[in-house]
Amino acid sequence: MVRPELAAAAPLLELRQISVAGRGRPRLEQLDLQIRPGERVALLGPSGAGKSTLLAVANGCLRPDAGQVLWHGQSPERSGRKRRRQQARIGTLWQDLRLIEELSVQQNLNAARLAHWGWPKALLNLLLPLETEACAAALREMELDPALLPQPVTALSGGQRQRLAMARLLRQQPSLLLADEPLASLDPRLASQLLALLLRQAQAPRALLLSLHRPDLLQGFDRVIGLRQGRLLFDCGATAVTGASLRELYGSEAGGP
Amino acid sequence: MRPAAPLLLLLPALVLVPLLLALPGLLHGGGWDLIADFAAAALTPSLDPLVLHSLLSGLGVTVAMALLGWGTSLFAGLVLGLASSRTIWRTLLGHELPAQLIRRLLALPRSIHELLWGLLLLQVLGLQPVVAVLAIAIPYGALVARVVSDLLDALPTANLEALRASGAPAPAALLTALGPPLLPGVLSYGGYRLECALRSATLLGVFGLGGLGTELKLTLQSLEFHELWSGLWLLLAVMLALETGVGLLRRRWAMPRRLGLHQLAVGRRGREMVLALLALVPLLLLLGRAMGVEPAALAHWQPLPGLASGRWQAVLSLPWPQLVSGTLLLTVLAAGLAVGLAPLLLLVTAPWPWARRLLGFGWMLARLWPPPLTLLLLLFVLKPGLITAALALGLHNLGILGRLLRESLQDGSPAAEQALVAAGSGPRLALLYGGLSGVARPYLAYGAYRSDVMLRETVVVGLAGAVGLGSQMLESLSSFAWDQLAALVLVYALLTLAGEDLSDRLRRRLLRQA
Repeated sequence: MVRPELAAAAPLLELRQISVAGRGRPRLEQLDLQIRPGERVALLGPSGAGKSTLLAVANGCLRPDAGQVLWHGQSPERSGRKRRRQQARIGTLWQDLRLIEELSVQQNLNAARLAHWGWPKALLNLLLPLETEACAAALREMELDPALLPQPVTALSGGQRQRLAMARLLRQQPSLLLADEPLASLDPRLASQLLALLLRQAQAPRALLLSLHRPDLLQGFDRVIGLRQGRLLFDCGATAVTGASLRELYGSEAGGP
Repeated sequence: MRPAAPLLLLLPALVLVPLLLALPGLLHGGGWDLIADFAAAALTPSLDPLVLHSLLSGLGVTVAMALLGWGTSLFAGLVLGLASSRTIWRTLLGHELPAQLIRRLLALPRSIHELLWGLLLLQVLGLQPVVAVLAIAIPYGALVARVVSDLLDALPTANLEALRASGAPAPAALLTALGPPLLPGVLSYGGYRLECALRSATLLGVFGLGGLGTELKLTLQSLEFHELWSGLWLLLAVMLALETGVGLLRRRWAMPRRLGLHQLAVGRRGREMVLALLALVPLLLLLGRAMGVEPAALAHWQPLPGLASGRWQAVLSLPWPQLVSGTLLLTVLAAGLAVGLAPLLLLVTAPWPWARRLLGFGWMLARLWPPPLTLLLLLFVLKPGLITAALALGLHNLGILGRLLRESLQDGSPAAEQALVAAGSGPRLALLYGGLSGVARPYLAYGAYRSDVMLRETVVVGLAGAVGLGSQMLESLSSFAWDQLAALVLVYALLTLAGEDLSDRLRRRLLRQA
């Protein structure tokens, strides 16, 4: 299951008995989950299983109705500076990317540093190119040309936007990477390229939790979690996932690997 | 080194620096006890039945004036708007020239503020209800006409040409192709105009044309703050009901928002809209009868007192450069204050929902309160002059712009802002980067339009003494110097037309880059 040298480290994310109410049935029900440094975890489940809810609880956007969230072993602060420091260590790759369309590539990259910047620097970033070297490095890491830095985001292609969103994630320097179906709207070649880049970034002390609906892309992950109707169906090593467990997960709409 | 969108939004706030620097010098020392009394009276309005009765009847008159003026302007504006549409003339006659001509002619009534119309008509017709109604209807009608014709000419004409090509007669083709897409835009603008009409009717009252405005001014001047607040709360209730009602209709009929004037959606429930429009006619006629509006009275002109001619020397000797520059400076200060302060205040209050609500309430009071009354209140503690006038005008418009900015933020997607908060940025920076980026350009474009309105409105704070053309006009009016007044009105009209042109260019540039 979990590699032995990782089991000892403190979990980056720990969910204890998390429940989130929904219309009719709960969106999440008494869910337990631990993610340790270096782990690359895939989150599988049919539509409406609660994958996005789980990620929203994990990154602090949604407060659960019951249960406890721990980041690096600590519960979330209510607000203020300490909470911001906690949030800064959690990076989310959103399905809709959430780039700021009115700003340039460099300004978007630097937006990931707002947790640490004061007002003067934040305002200056809207006027001048700041920390160009770090931004260029983030772009190169994602195999993008640093010449794109002064371009408006609207000038980028779909694939470039995906990579920019990931470069922004790196610029944030988070320890926990969360990704909500980042491969959903990509063609197969682009999807596997992107996944490879993400997996490469998720080395210890980082960890990755990525939701996806393509069981054929599981190689490279350490662990797979199956979520169905807000409950954990299985939690096992990537190689232990069988066609039978997938059929159970997806019910009648199943498609084996 | 071009400032990015959210920074652009904060630039107008730079005008606060000179304003704040000048403010300490403007304090005349006294009057703070009066301000304190005024503020304290907000919680203890007078409940004397006599007072309430007179306020309520005043409110009735104001609402009736607003409705009548608005209704008249809406119908006149529709007719004139159709008459000045290029598309319509081209379809009917194959020529655009008449449209251009009517457009030019309508620029003059539009460029003169309703207060000036009111004061001019008051001289000619004497004090009677029809004066206020006309004062609102004339400039509003011309404004509605412009918006209608702009909307019409911006509609795609492919449908129209298809209908014409298939042999439909011109009027039928026009109605079918352009009527349905035009209606929601016109009604949305009309609803907004109704809110403006209520504010204008109150304002006209402050200058003695009757209704609640007159009562408010009298109670303020006699320092009866408890009675003043009774009137203000009543007005607030009506304004709130009106804004909510217009908002509900806008949603029900899927009408475009004001900031997004360009995304013309074809409204649902077209029949309902037409019926509502038609139901207005009997309602307005009844109101007119109840108020004693006599169309026949329009024929009875009073002889103008003291009409002297041949004093052009006196007209030329007016300090024109100072008058014009004073007016422009007043506009720039007020516009910077209103446009710049709204996003700044939203940023400051971003972390606290209660402060947001308080701010929204403050803005409501600011747009409700006619600028000359704000001015009187400011004069309790500040010396008269340009800056005091700019404060009064700016604060009023801040109430209007602030509400618009808040609404458009609420309508926009919170996704980018949420993403920034999740990545650890504070609520203020998240709002600046994530929220304000998207609305910056349309908001500034609206600010450009609003600045043009403020230029027209400078006459309203002319009471502050020596603050440009507005003050001089009020002075000339009260000394019956008609030649001066005519020259002043002409210059003012030219100035506002130039301002309108400038703000149009600015607006188009801002929206093109968006």
